[in-house]
Amino acid sequence: MTEIAAVAEDLGRASLALARRFNAGATMWCTSPSWPFHASHVAVEFVHPVIVGKRALAAVTVPIGADVVATLRANVRPGDIVVALADSDDPQVVDAMRRGEAWGVETLWIGAGGERPRSGSADHVIWLDTDDPLEASECFVRIYHLLWELTHVVFEHPGLLKDDPNGVVCTEEVCITCSDEGRLTEVVSVAGDEAVVKALGIEERIDISLIDPPAPGDLVLVHAGFAIR
Amino acid sequence: MKETTDFLYPFIEGDETDATALLVDLAQSAEEKWAVSTELKVVTLARVEEQLRTIAALMAERFAAGGRLFAFGNGGSATDADGVAQLYTRPPSGRALPARSLVEDRAVITALGNDVGYDKIFSRQLIAHARAGDMAIGYSTSGNSENLLVAFAEARKRGLLTIGFAGIDGGRMGVDPNVEHCMIVLSQSVHRVQETQASATHVLWSYVQEALAARN
Repeated sequence: MTEIAAVAEDLGRASLALARRFNAGATMWCTSPSWPFHASHVAVEFVHPVIVGKRALAAVTVPIGADVVATLRANVRPGDIVVALADSDDPQVVDAMRRGEAWGVETLWIGAGGERPRSGSADHVIWLDTDDPLEASECFVRIYHLLWELTHVVFEHPGLLKDDPNGVVCTEEVCITCSDEGRLTEVVSVAGDEAVVKALGIEERIDISLIDPPAPGDLVLVHAGFAIR
Repeated sequence: MKETTDFLYPFIEGDETDATALLVDLAQSAEEKWAVSTELKVVTLARVEEQLRTIAALMAERFAAGGRLFAFGNGGSATDADGVAQLYTRPPSGRALPARSLVEDRAVITALGNDVGYDKIFSRQLIAHARAGDMAIGYSTSGNSENLLVAFAEARKRGLLTIGFAGIDGGRMGVDPNVEHCMIVLSQSVHRVQETQASATHVLWSYVQEALAARN
């Protein structure tokens, strides 16, 4: 059986982040295009706790067969959580995860075997070292059970629920956290040299004359009102 | 968890600000629970191996004769039923076999739950679909789910092979004659029960594949 030691710290950090997000009112969106039953299990675990007295948390499954990105784009609010159980080459999950920054969501990617998602693909990656699909499936059940159990352990530490290092939101004209690189936004519509883009739930009109014309849904980096990439 | 770790955190009033100690504790807790789960899996699979072989041989016979597998359960166990249907029909290796989850069709589930009663959401589907030679597998951690017991009774009446996956001490499923073969994971933890049930599900499936391969 796969050993837990390699991912125990990742699991702990993810649980702390989830508890903080839930505490601030997050909804957790669960998706697994290849194994939809796992996504359903994660959601029911958090909504309907097996231990009486534990609080019900807002978790929901992206409907089986639904367009993952379209469903999330329409529904997620900044501060939400997206959890995916998927291989690193699952096209729908790859596409959803790279939009996490623009949507303002905390992303957790759970998987096993093959290539690990490239660094920075998600806020949290829990990757198990097995290429056996059935063993991986058994490990997934353990991982999300532990995720639930540890998230509730964090709730017993109210002082630690407030300190969210990822909670920085750009509100000023010049953002000190991203002024050098720009902010990742998602294109809503394009008209000539201008586009409406959306980031962290807020739409703004930007100049796109410096880049090749983007299409709705594309991700563009915005700096001082201009798309720069 | 709470009882054993409270002494580590003298910040009950909410003024705790450094997560370092908590993160160490979370990782350690994960490792401990993982070890408990692995131990339960090893012990259980050793204890039920012969039982799973017996069930697999009977299932292989039925599959070979055109039998179909119906899976059901509630909550997390409903997702186990979905997983069974996926594993048998779209296996990572071996033969695809006919299997369906009776929790997948929300229109049917809500219609039956609303009009007939939640205790009959599976049995009514068996009345519509099942025939002698088919198989029924039901998942419950407590072994006490009313709608499973009603479904098993209906399945037996119709000549299905009936298989239960239960936990804790087997509950009512463990002693119900309508559950011909009840595999019980002896643990008080719902999570640990489900984890070993998942392993046993995979072992049973692999034995069915072996038994079918041996027939050819």
